[in-house]
This record gives sequence, structure tokens and C-alpha cells, in this order.
Amino acid sequence: MYRHSHCEGFQQDPTAQELGLAGPEGGLGPLEQLVAWMRKRSLFVLAFGTGCGAIEMRPLMTSRFDAERFGIVNAATPRQADVLVISGYLAIKTLKRVIRSYEQMQEPKYVIALGSCTINGGMYWDSYNTVKQVHRYLPVDMYINGCMPRPEALIEGFVALQGRIARGEPGGYQRYRERIDWYKANQRRVLGDNMLPDYTYDWYHAGGIA
Amino acid sequence: MHYLLDIPAMIATSYVLGFLFYGFYRQYNARIQRRWGPSIFQNLYDNLKFLFKSETLSHGPMFFFGPMIIVSGAVTTVLFIPFLKDSIWLQGFSQHGNLILIIYLFVLGPLGNALAVGSSGNPFGVMGVTRGLTRLMGLEVPFFLGLALVMLQYETVSVHAIMAAQSSIGEWTLVTNPIAFLVILLPFIASMNAAPFDVVGAPQEVYAGPRVEFGGRFLGVLMTQNMMLSVGKLVLLVDLFLGGATNLFILIAKAFALFLLITSISAVFPRLKTEQAVDFFWKVPLGLGVVGVVATVWLQ
Amino acid sequence: MTALVKLLFLAASLSPAATLLVWDGALAWPLFGDVTLLFDLAPLSAFFLLLVALGAPLAAIPMLRDDAEWPTYALYALLLVGMQVLLLAGDFIGLFVGWEIMTWSSYLLLLRSPRTTLATAQSYILLNLLSAFALLGGILVYYSLTGGFAIQAVADLGPWQGLALIGPLALAFLIKVGTVPLHLWVPCSYDEAPDTFSAVLSALLSKMGIYGLILLLTLLPGGLAGGLSGGLGGLYGHLLDGPAAGYVLGWIGVITSIVATFKAIAQEDMKRLLAYSSIAQVGYITTAIGVGSSLAIGGALFHALVHTLIKLLLFTTIAGIVLRTGLRSFKDLGRLIYRMPISFFGVLIGIIGLAGMPPLPGFASKYLIFVSLIDARWLLLLAAMILSSTAAFLYCYRLIYAPFLGHANSPQARTATEAPWQYLVPEVVLMGLLVALGLFPGLGVRLFVDPVLTALGLTPLGSPSWGELATPYGGYDGVVVMAVFGGAFVVVTSLFFLLRGRMRQAASPYDLSYAGEVPDETTPLHYGAGMGRELRRIPLVAWILGHSTQGLYAGLVRQTQAAAGLLAGLYSGRPQVWILLAVLVFAAALTVQLLAGGI
Repeated sequence: MYRHSHCEGFQQDPTAQELGLAGPEGGLGPLEQLVAWMRKRSLFVLAFGTGCGAIEMRPLMTSRFDAERFGIVNAATPRQADVLVISGYLAIKTLKRVIRSYEQMQEPKYVIALGSCTINGGMYWDSYNTVKQVHRYLPVDMYINGCMPRPEALIEGFVALQGRIARGEPGGYQRYRERIDWYKANQRRVLGDNMLPDYTYDWYHAGGIA
Repeated sequence: MHYLLDIPAMIATSYVLGFLFYGFYRQYNARIQRRWGPSIFQNLYDNLKFLFKSETLSHGPMFFFGPMIIVSGAVTTVLFIPFLKDSIWLQGFSQHGNLILIIYLFVLGPLGNALAVGSSGNPFGVMGVTRGLTRLMGLEVPFFLGLALVMLQYETVSVHAIMAAQSSIGEWTLVTNPIAFLVILLPFIASMNAAPFDVVGAPQEVYAGPRVEFGGRFLGVLMTQNMMLSVGKLVLLVDLFLGGATNLFILIAKAFALFLLITSISAVFPRLKTEQAVDFFWKVPLGLGVVGVVATVWLQ
Repeated sequence: MTALVKLLFLAASLSPAATLLVWDGALAWPLFGDVTLLFDLAPLSAFFLLLVALGAPLAAIPMLRDDAEWPTYALYALLLVGMQVLLLAGDFIGLFVGWEIMTWSSYLLLLRSPRTTLATAQSYILLNLLSAFALLGGILVYYSLTGGFAIQAVADLGPWQGLALIGPLALAFLIKVGTVPLHLWVPCSYDEAPDTFSAVLSALLSKMGIYGLILLLTLLPGGLAGGLSGGLGGLYGHLLDGPAAGYVLGWIGVITSIVATFKAIAQEDMKRLLAYSSIAQVGYITTAIGVGSSLAIGGALFHALVHTLIKLLLFTTIAGIVLRTGLRSFKDLGRLIYRMPISFFGVLIGIIGLAGMPPLPGFASKYLIFVSLIDARWLLLLAAMILSSTAAFLYCYRLIYAPFLGHANSPQARTATEAPWQYLVPEVVLMGLLVALGLFPGLGVRLFVDPVLTALGLTPLGSPSWGELATPYGGYDGVVVMAVFGGAFVVVTSLFFLLRGRMRQAASPYDLSYAGEVPDETTPLHYGAGMGRELRRIPLVAWILGHSTQGLYAGLVRQTQAAAGLLAGLYSGRPQVWILLAVLVFAAALTVQLLAGGI
């Protein structure tokens, strides 16, 4: 059963920490700048209420903090979303659904993970079924720490993400595409038999033209 | 040559008015809810972002053609509505069409898209389509009855002729036949897919309904046609009830007034269930329509 | 041998076309006394003969694929003979003979299906016999009024005489048309008839009832041409701008179409859905005949033509699906679009026409009918018609979604192949005809409708060009609508490809947004079976669907029995009661007479 050394999150894989990709050569052209600016101004959020952090998304979206000022609105389905927000601790059972939702989103897509639990497990640091480091399974673009992060912190995180989008820095989705085998191996390690069917991701291998 | 300028002008007008009106709608709603709300250009940003998504998933040929059909339907509809009165501009092909044709063109695109929704195989989408068709069944009866009162009043189905007959404020259909306007007002809100009749695409209930499988550029295309078609509907109502417009500014002013009325109604009412909406349409607006028929047709 | 039989059969199916082309001049055949049989091709009957001439060979080609069963072929040929006799007849004897041949040959054809149940056969023959007897009764009334059998306008007719004439004839024709509540025989027989024969039942046989109804209007003094003073209006007065009696007929038609449309939405079986949709569509035609103006009769004729083409197309296509899968229920099929693409387009064109969407001629005919209702100022009828016409979208969508889209729900649906060529040839021809008629509604009016209207003494609709359908209220141009839509489609699709970005095909039909879950073949994803079930939560629809015609008749029986029971209470066994009753009646009669001052 559960052994401390096997517990997900304790084996550090330093190479995985900063898998940066090179940015565009010589900056963005005018059209790219325009498109990047549109992308920045319009973020459709798929708020995956995985844990208690979901409670912070409501004040963010409603009148008090009004994220719509920044062009941030809720999306109903993954197909329409640009940003996946993993709100709070992520159980392994939920991980499968999160991966599925992420892979159904259309590129360019970004992941924001909020709360300490997504970074290091937080108060579930020794739990057998909580994911400790989300970036081992999904390419997290932005971590927002805190337990829980307040809506102001969330706004700051979103604005930081918008800055990266506007500068044309490569998003996590490109990393996911490049290193799909590594991500899939990690996912398979925790999901085991419960792994998603092949057709959900094998188009990544076919260069996207399946 | 004239058409080459006129057609893009109509499409551009309806698109620009579309995103500005919807941008205003979001601002207006935000102020009602005591928040700042997005920029007035937010719908343009959203739409262009979707049109420039770098990935789009398709579920097969029929799925691909659905959004194309719905946009073609919206463009066709807009081109058959005369935007201006006593002008050769912004007329499109409206000389070859009529009011009944326009009403049918309104639903042509969504029906084509329903095929794409079905071919995606997502049951939530089909559920949304069924709701949409059910709502359509409810709203069309009073809507058409109200328009029939107008058609009977002017004894023509030509939008041009109806528009030409209203030369001064005293001759506006809104003044001469207010009951027809009241009959169509609520069904018109439903046909704009605004609250309280917006159950078709309810995100929390049917997972965005007909749009559930559309992402990327397809969603951009769907947003585009929605904005254009909404402007088309507003312009049609301006033509029929507010005497049309002789230039673009009057058109914008009148369409905006109408839009403001609709927005104000829809901002404060909660969503109705499909069957509640249908039942409502068959009781209140249709009842009013029957009263209108008795008063203006039978008792003459 | 088989080939020869089939060739003969095909030749027989072309006989209506031959009759239409070569028949010239009247044929009179003295029968007995001063009664002669008259055969003549008037423009009205020529129009309906044209429908038969179009439909007969197209419905015959799929029958060729079946094993050569000569009785089927012979009966079909006999049916065609019956319809031709009926249409050519210039007097009521010939009409009745044709009517009977048609009824009996179609009945025997219906019996040849292994699926036909006793109840279906009984309801078919009994109601059609009732129709025939009513026709006979009407003919006898006609004879007593005019002293002859030749079909022509009766010179002068009082309201009661008119009722005696119109009542039985209208009953006869409305049974054939299948109006509620006389439609009992329609859904079950269309459903259980041989798959290739259902098309004939729906497309051609129901049109004979329409022919009868229009013929009935020409019998009235002044015929249809009398305008507001003649015809039904002359007999029973006016309501707004139309004949009051026609208003009743209009409501009969519209209620028929509303009830049938909601019943159609609730069906689980493809052919039964089409049967109900037939009833609904013919209901529109009945309404238009009730209006009786030039626009309305024009619309009725045009809709008859369009409905013939559509129902031939749809029934043939569905027969192809049933042939290839052996399944006829919505819940068993799905995703046939990739396996039967031509059939998909057949059903697509069919439902676009059925729903009356603009580029196709279904819109043209509905447009004429709508405008005629506005012209008659019968707006409530118009609203009711819009209700059934919009609700039709629901069953149209179901008809294409459940078999062709969604997910395959049975092994047969996963392995089906395209229908054989005998089915595809008529389908493609019919699709071509429908698209052509949609492009050129003006041409259709000029060729088919206007000659009939002129012969009936009505104003022809006229059309400035092939593409334009013109009415006094305004018109539209089919070519322009189609061209604008097609042009927009081409431009939009090319613009879409100009945008940057990858298109990716879903790797599996189960690659769906499904709340993060991964559905598989065990997940119930096909929405075909339950579609329309939520409609029952709308009170009006629930009321309509909660009541059946069988229930209506059962209720009638109960009421009759209750009334009879009330009467039976008077018949007690004791003689005193009888005497008491007699005394009471006598006393009452005396009192009444006394009060009236009779004594």
C-alpha cells in the first residue's frame, strides 16, 4: 500500500522544474502582437472546482472583484475555454478529469493552479491520494500561492499571465506538446489502469494532424 | 458594382453595430450589478481571439459545415433586410425578398447548425437544440401573429412598402398599431436569445447547449453570426415599427433605443424553464394577440 | 420471365404519364337510359394526373428490387388504372368506379405486407368503405338535385340542400384526406404497408381526397369563380373576407395539422412519424381549400405537388434504411451519415422541404397559403398554422438526427451499406425536382398551377420570371435566395480556410465534452429515443398527447350508452308506469295546445 518513499511528490525530478522553451525569434510581428493582445484581453476560464479553492472563484467573477473588467469570464465547456483554473488540492481521482478537460481545450491554452496544495500538497503533504506537484502532470503556467489565495491575489496572477501572453512567451501548452511522453509517463504512474484511453492524446504524437 | 460596395457595407455595418451593442449590453448589465464591467469593445476582442485560435477540433464534414451554414444564413438574412429608407445604399437584395421570407431565414442558419450539433454526437448539444426548437415553437406563434397584424394593416408583406407607409412619427406602426408591438415584444426578446428566455444555451444546465462541442474558430464564427443576426433583427423591427431610417445615424439611434428597451427588460428577470417559456408565450403574448385580432380585425 | 414481368410492370407504371400526354378530347360512352359515362381531361384532373404520372414510376422502381411477386405488380397496375379512371371521369359514375377500384386494390396491396395486423386492415377497409358509401350517398343527392351524373355546378341550391350535398361528399373526401378524427386508418396503414408502397399511399392516394375536395367546391353555384358571392360564401355567408363554411373547413385542417404534428413528434417509429406528418401536411392543404381564394387554391395545388415529391422521397429513403438495417425505430439507429450518404441527402432535402425552409419549394407553397390567410383576414387560423408549421421542425430534426447523426445504437447501424440503386435513382430524381422547383417557383406556378386556376375561373397567380413567385402582397425570387445563400456559403467557407490555425479531426466519436468524463460505447449518448419527451410538460401538448382518437371514440360510445341508459330507465316492466307516462304526455300535449290557443 502506501509507502512514504513512493508517495508522489517526494521524488524530485530537477529537470522537470524549469522546462522553458525558447521564445519567438526577434520578438512578435505586428499581426502577432495584435493577436497576442486580443488573447490577453479575452480569457475564458474553465474553473475546475477541484478543492476548497473553488470558493475564491465566485467573488472573483462577481460584483465585488469583477474579473470581467480584465476580459476574464467563465466558460461553460472546455472547448470554449482558454484558461484552466485548478482551484485547490487535486486528488488523483480528479486528476484524470482535469487532464481530460485540459486536453479538450483548444490551443492556445493556459493553466493556473491556485493554492498551496497544488504546489506542494499543502496540508495534504503526506496524503496518499493528493497530487503534490501539479506541474508534473499538466504544464502549469502560473501558480498562485496562499491557503487560500484571496481574489486580489488571483487577479494579480491573471494579470501576470496576461503579461506573458502579451509578450508572446511560450505557453505551457507548447511544453506539453513537446514533452508529451514525459507528462504521460508521470500521469500513467499515478493513474495506473485508470489511464485515459489512447485516442485522447495520441494526436499529440501525430504532430497534431491526425 | 453597386452590389460589390453595398454588400460588404451591410455586413460590416451589422458586424460593427453587433459588437458595439453587445459590448454596451455587457457594460449595462455590469452597472446594474454594481460593477465596472468590460470595455465596450470586449465582444470584438473575444470574437477575434476565437477567430485566431491556433487549434480547432472538428467532428467530421457535417460538423464543419454547420457553422458555415449558420453564418451564410446570417449573411443572407442581413442582406434581405433593407437597412435604410429612401436610399439606394444598404439595401442588399431586399427588393427580392419579403417579411415572411426574412422570418424563415432567421431560423434557417440555426437549423443548419443543429445538424452539426447532432453530428458531433454530444447529447447535451442535441438537448439544447431540442430546447431551442421547443422555444421556437412557443415564440413563433405570437411573433408571427403580431407581424401578421402589421402585414394586414398595410396589406403587403414587403418591408419596403411597410417602411414607406410610415413617413412621420404619427404614422409609425408603434403609434398606429401599438398592440402588435406589444404582442411581438416578448417573443422578440426570446428570438434574441436574451433572458428570461435564454434557457437554450444555459451553461449550468445543458453545458452550453448547442455550442457544447464548438471551440476555437468555430466558436468565433458562431459569435460573429450571432452579433450580425441580432442587429438584423433589430433593424427589421426598426423598419416595421419605428418607421425605418433615412440615414445610418437615425438607424443606430432607433435600433439602440429598441435594444435598450429589450436589455432593460431582460436584465431584471430570472431564467424560465423551456416549458414555462412556451406556456407563457401561448398564454400572455398570444392572448394579447387574440385580443388584438378581435379588436382590430373582427370588430371593424 | 421475371425480367419480362418487371418490364411489363415498369411499362404499366408509365401509363399515367402516357395518358397525360396522349389523351385528347372527351370520350362519351352511353351506359343506359340517358346516362353516359364521360371521360375528359380537365385542367384540374390533369394536374392531379400529373402527380400520379410523376409518382407512379418513381414509386415503382424500388418495387422492382423485391422478388417478382406478380400479384403485387398486378394490384399496383390496377391501382393506377383506378386512379386514372377517377381523375378522367367527367361524371360521378366513373368517379365512383375509379374510387372503388383504388380503394380495393390498395387494400389488397396493404394486406400483402407481413406486418399488417387485423386491426389495421379492418380500420383501413371499414373507414374507406364508409368513405365510399358517403360518396355514393352524396352522388344520389346530387342526382336528385340535378337529374344527371355529369360533374358540373348545380344551378341553384338552398342552404339545406347544400348541406345534404356537401355533407356526405365532404365526409367521403375528408376520410380519404385523413383529417382528425377520421384519420384512424392513416398512421397504422402507412406504417404497416409494404415499405415501398407507403410512398404511394401517402403521396398519391391522399391527393385523391384533395382532388375530391376541390371538385366539391366546383359543384356549388357559381363554382369557385364566384368570388365572395359564389361557392361556399354564397351558400352560408361570409366571415371577414372568406366564406364562413370555409372557415370551418380551415379550422378542421389546422386542428388536424396541429394534432398530427404533436403526435408525430411523439412517435418512436420512422414510418409512423412520416404518416402523421402526412396527415399534418394534408391538413394545410385542407385549410387552404377552405379559404378558397385564388391565392389559397394556388397554394393548395402547389403544396399538393411539393408534398407528393417530398413524401415519395422520404418514404423511399426510409424504406432504403429499413431494407439495409432491418430496423425502423429511432432508438436503434444512428450515425448512418457516413454509411448511407446519399440517403442522408435525401432525408435532408426532404425535411428542408417539409419544414418549409426558404430555398426549397415547401416555402413557396406555405408562403402562398400564409398570404391567402392574411388576405382573407383569418389571422387566428394563421397563428394556429404557424404553431403546427413550427412544431414540425422538431420532428424534422428528429427524422434526420436519430438515424443519421449521433452515435450508432445497434450492430446493424454500424455495418449498414448504402441503399441499392433502385432506391437511389428515384431519390436523386426527386431531389433534383425539389431543388429545381425551389429555384423556380414562378415557373412551377406558371406551368402547373395557373392553367388549373384559369380553368376554375380564378385569377391566375402569374409570375414575372421563372424564379419569382408573385402575389398581390409581394413576392420573392427563388433564384436570388439560392444564389445569395450559396454565394455566402462559398465566401464564408473560403474565408474560414484563410484564417490561420490548425484543424484537427476528433480521433474518436467519443471525444466529447462530457464534464471531464470519458464516455464509451456503454454510455447512453444517443438522444434519438427520448427527443420530444420533455414536450409533454407543456400543458397543451400534454393534453393533445394524452388523448387519442381511439379514446375520443370510446368516450363517444360511453356517452351514447349513458344516454341510452337514461332512456332505458323509462322502459320499466310495470304497465302502470306506461299508463302514467301516456297520461302525462297526453296532459302535457293538451296543456301546450291550450296555452297556444289551439282549442
